[in-house]
Amino acid sequence: MTLTTSLRDRLAAVVGPEHVRDDPGTLEAYARDATPLHRGAADAVCFPADTAQVQRVVKIARAERIPLVVRGAGTNLCGATVPQLGGIVLVMTRMARLIELDPGNMSAVVQPGMVTATLAEEAAAHGLLYPPDPGSRTTSTIGGNVGTCAGGLRGLKYGVTRDYVLGCEAVLGTGEVLRYGGKVVKNVAGFDLARLLCGSEGTLAILTELTLRLVPAPLASGVGLAYFSRLKEAGAAVSRVLASGILPATLEFLDSTCLRTVEEFAGIGLRADAGALLVFGQDGTPEVVAADLERIAVACRAEGAIEARVARDETEATALLEARRAALPSLSRLAPLTILEDATVPRSRLAEMVERIEEIAVRHGLLIGTFGHAGDGNLHPTCVVDPAHPGVVERVETAFSEIFDAALELGGTITGEHGVGLAKRAHLESQLGRAQIELLRRIKLAFDPDGILNPGKLAS
Amino acid sequence: MSERSIFEPELLDRCISCGFCLPACPTYGLTGVEASSPRGRINLMRALQEGTLPDDDPTALEESSFCLGCRACEPVCPAGVRYGELLETWRDHSWKGRRRSPMLRLLLWSTAQTWRVRLMGLRRHARRRLGTGPSLMLGCFERALFPSVSRAAAALVPGASISSHQGCCGALHAHNGERERGRRLAVQLGYDLPGTILTTSGGCAAHLGSVLGGDRVFELSEWLGEHPPAVTPSRPRLRVAVQDSCHLRNGMGIWREARTLLAEVAEVVELPSASACCGAAGTYALLRPRDSRRILDAKLDEIRAADVDYVVTLNPGCLRQLQSGLRRRRLRTRAIHLAEVLS
Ligand SMILES: Cc1cc2nc3c(=O)[nH]c(=O)nc-3n(C[C@H](O)[C@H](O)[C@H](O)COP(=O)(O)OP(=O)(O)OC[C@H]3O[C@@H](n4cnc5c(N)ncnc54)[C@H](O)[C@@H]3O)c2cc1C
Ligand code: SF4
Ligand code: SF4
Repeated sequence: MTLTTSLRDRLAAVVGPEHVRDDPGTLEAYARDATPLHRGAADAVCFPADTAQVQRVVKIARAERIPLVVRGAGTNLCGATVPQLGGIVLVMTRMARLIELDPGNMSAVVQPGMVTATLAEEAAAHGLLYPPDPGSRTTSTIGGNVGTCAGGLRGLKYGVTRDYVLGCEAVLGTGEVLRYGGKVVKNVAGFDLARLLCGSEGTLAILTELTLRLVPAPLASGVGLAYFSRLKEAGAAVSRVLASGILPATLEFLDSTCLRTVEEFAGIGLRADAGALLVFGQDGTPEVVAADLERIAVACRAEGAIEARVARDETEATALLEARRAALPSLSRLAPLTILEDATVPRSRLAEMVERIEEIAVRHGLLIGTFGHAGDGNLHPTCVVDPAHPGVVERVETAFSEIFDAALELGGTITGEHGVGLAKRAHLESQLGRAQIELLRRIKLAFDPDGILNPGKLAS
Repeated sequence: MSERSIFEPELLDRCISCGFCLPACPTYGLTGVEASSPRGRINLMRALQEGTLPDDDPTALEESSFCLGCRACEPVCPAGVRYGELLETWRDHSWKGRRRSPMLRLLLWSTAQTWRVRLMGLRRHARRRLGTGPSLMLGCFERALFPSVSRAAAALVPGASISSHQGCCGALHAHNGERERGRRLAVQLGYDLPGTILTTSGGCAAHLGSVLGGDRVFELSEWLGEHPPAVTPSRPRLRVAVQDSCHLRNGMGIWREARTLLAEVAEVVELPSASACCGAAGTYALLRPRDSRRILDAKLDEIRAADVDYVVTLNPGCLRQLQSGLRRRRLRTRAIHLAEVLS
């Protein structure tokens, strides 16, 4: 499919000629996102400035029956913004304004292209907190966060993006503009469309404005660490901590492969010989933070931690969070290709799941390091390979299939926060079943009767 | 489509496409288009490597030139991508022969041989002398434009040797598609100036250090950090702001030293964009004056708001860029080299 001159002109008439690009180099730069192995080829890239422009672009795409792939910062890890069927990539980063920050109602109204960290800073300036903090927050956009229902390190206590969307404005595949919800925190007039759009990966509507809930910023925060000789004990410690009535803000883990690799590359002073590391964090008043961190350390020791304590100072605290964040990039240095997944299980089955992953890795002769959000049962098994070795990519695919099956067997999901996109499409039906897939398709049809919005992703 | 080897595959493979570098990149900040971001440019390089894009793809050529080469994308990269090296290789490959502008060819020609560089230094710079300390590098364009910087540096490092038989360090060439000549010039300079080499230019320090080894090459603030000069506080107390040198900060991790030294003599104000490129970027200001000014403009707004007496630079290119920008805006702030403030 090539972009006819008249179509290019029509797009240019909507957004201005300088905001449409169809040169091969630019198309190449928008052929992929942060997902390895997936790429597409768009026909044009278009940067709208407001809702009216988005609406007019949707109408053009509808009239021409061409795919429209909406994109924020392109940091998703499931190929959700890869234009594998061509069409128009609609980049939302020009719509990045903070429309209103309302401390009285603890809410913010933003355009979807706003960077997550920018919103967090704006909120902090008013003594407020926007809790969802995906690892990509300095780059990712709010629209993309809603599109994937992003989680983060604070998920256990504060929930994920869907818990903060109060309302939205969206353009449907029909070109209709719809407004849902607002600053009200309670609202049962009709279906909860904001929640439906959370994690819809650009397949139902294009979000053009979001009303988000903020919470009071905690006065203090702190972190601690616990080393275990086996991951099983770390898993048991997570359950013990939660059973003891504490809800930590952060509960992250690294397995032994990650510990060794992070230490090798980042040299933070971690115990590379341990079987697992738990990094825990709490926020609140200074007294609560101190008391809770101590109680978490005690719970960890009760499960056999070889070392469990509160971070000595700010420097150590920063280093610990740094270590957690360094897991993925450190692993990626071991081999040319890094494939990251995010199978998630009920948190009580975390250790069991890690053991299953280890067994699968050994059986297929692969190196898989696992880290993740222990408190959410959200694992990030990360496989590093050299794709030049024949057959290795197929072996990785088989191994990940088995990992997904294991997660489902343990009552979990194939993806906790990264999304389905292109990457996990083939596995979706085994989790949802035929009837649910059919329902998703009927819902999709209601929003986007011609199937122009991000076709071929998720359930479409 | 055949896989060619323009780039070392390991250098390209290291990028995991996470996009962490996007917010750090000044050119992406200007356009918001992925192709002018570090991640986008790496994808263009991959396409050239795979043969998906031809060597003369206009967007790829344009982006290889639009990039400031400031390497702000390096310290923020969690995967340790060596973007500066990739860019040198890219320009080496893509800017062969006539693709370089006449202006660039003239610049590279005039600095490629020692005698041509010496011509630039006919106005008196620092007096020749033989000392026991490091050898002071006089720079190429710096000799012609700012001889006072070398004189000030010579005063701050009393033991420094100064010889006029020295050429260009080759940074200019390495950053503009002549990697091999850039390396050869650095080796030649290392031969002409035996022992430790001291330079007043962050950009030269990074290039020279990458060829001769960091232990032989010192940038002025780095040297003075270890060998503090005797200074007298300014009176009345001056207010100054620092403009980092990109390659000094992003390539060598040196930026604290200048601030510590300056705090001895003046009040140091931190500009929000102190670490971001001023748009000089070696030959960039001459080759792409419009883009260079757009990059500088935001910084001039900050300088106006901070209303400092001086903006202190660590690189002659930045000095020239800021001087002309400040003059254009008619601001009262003056740009000055670190050596001149301290001496
Ligand atoms: C290093 C790294 C760490 C990460 N850490 C986390 C983490 O901790 N937790 C987590 O959940 N994720 C994480 N991610 C994944 C990713 O950052 C998130 O999915 C993020 O929400 C994507 O935001 P984006 O702006 O890049 O969106 P994009 O990747 O551009 O798009 C994501 C999806 O949202 C859709 N979309 C974008 N804008 C709109 C809009 N305006 N309207 C409708 N749909 C839209 C797109 O079509 C696509 O389906 C990480 C990624 C990386 C590379
Ligand atoms: S930050 Fe580094 S790894 Fe990530 S996209 Fe940029 S260059 Fe690639
Ligand atoms: S060197 Fe500077 S301009 Fe070039 S890609 Fe990196 S950050 Fe952007």
